[in-house]
Amino acid sequence: MNAFVIGILVGLAAVLVVAGIKKWRTRDKPMSVAEKADYLSKRRARMLPALAIIFLSQQATFISQMSGEHVSAEKAKISAWLVLSVVLLFGIATKGFWLEPKEVRDLIDDENTQANRNEAMRWGFLFAMASAIGVYVLTMIESVTGREAVHIVLSFGIAAALLRWGILEKRAHANA
Amino acid sequence: MPERLANRLKERRTELGLTQAELAERVGVTRKTVNTVENGVFTPSATLAIKLAKALQLSVEELFWIER
Repeated sequence: MNAFVIGILVGLAAVLVVAGIKKWRTRDKPMSVAEKADYLSKRRARMLPALAIIFLSQQATFISQMSGEHVSAEKAKISAWLVLSVVLLFGIATKGFWLEPKEVRDLIDDENTQANRNEAMRWGFLFAMASAIGVYVLTMIESVTGREAVHIVLSFGIAAALLRWGILEKRAHANA
Repeated sequence: MPERLANRLKERRTELGLTQAELAERVGVTRKTVNTVENGVFTPSATLAIKLAKALQLSVEELFWIER
C-alpha cells in the first residue's frame, strides 16, 4: 500500500482513538449541560497549549530533512500530519467537540469563546503570512519545494492559533 | 487615557446571592464568560449586557459604565 495512504489511515486512527478516550473518560459523570460545558471548556484550555507544542515539535523531523528524499516512513508521517492538521484546523474553525450534544456545543462556543477563537484565528493568519514571507526569503538561498513550503506555512499558522487560543482560554478561566 | 467598560456585576450578583455558575445559566453562557466580564477582561456585546442587566434586575447603565 502507498506510504501516503498508510499515513492518512494512521492519522485517522489516531484521531478516532483520541476521540474514543475522551468520550470514555466522561462516561460515568452525570452532569448538567452547563456543568459539562464548563468542564470541557476547562479541559480545552489545558489541552490547547500542549497540543500546539506537540504539533510543532513533530515538525522537527520534517524540517530537519527538508530538501532531502523522503523515505516511505517519512511519507507516512507527512500524511498523518496532514490529517492532524485538517482536524485541528476544523477544531479551530468550528465549535469542536463534535461528539457532544448540540446544546453542550452551543454553550461551549459562547460569546467569550467566539471572541477568543476569532483572536486565535487572527494570530494563525498572521503567523502563516509571516512564515510564508520567511519561506519566500529562504527560497533565495535554498531550494524549497511546494510541499515543504505548504508544510511550514500550515504548521506555524495552526500552532500559533492553537497556542493563542489556549492562552486566552486559560486567562479567561483564571480566578473563576 | 484609554476608556474601559467598568461594571458592578460581582457586587450585584453577590447581593442577589447568585454564584457565577447560576448567573451564567440564567443568561445562557458559560461561567467563564461571566468571570471574564466581571474581571473586565472581556467586553460583552450589547445583547449579553442586556441579558446580564435583566438577570440582575438592573438597567444596563446601572450595571455598566465607561471609565476613563
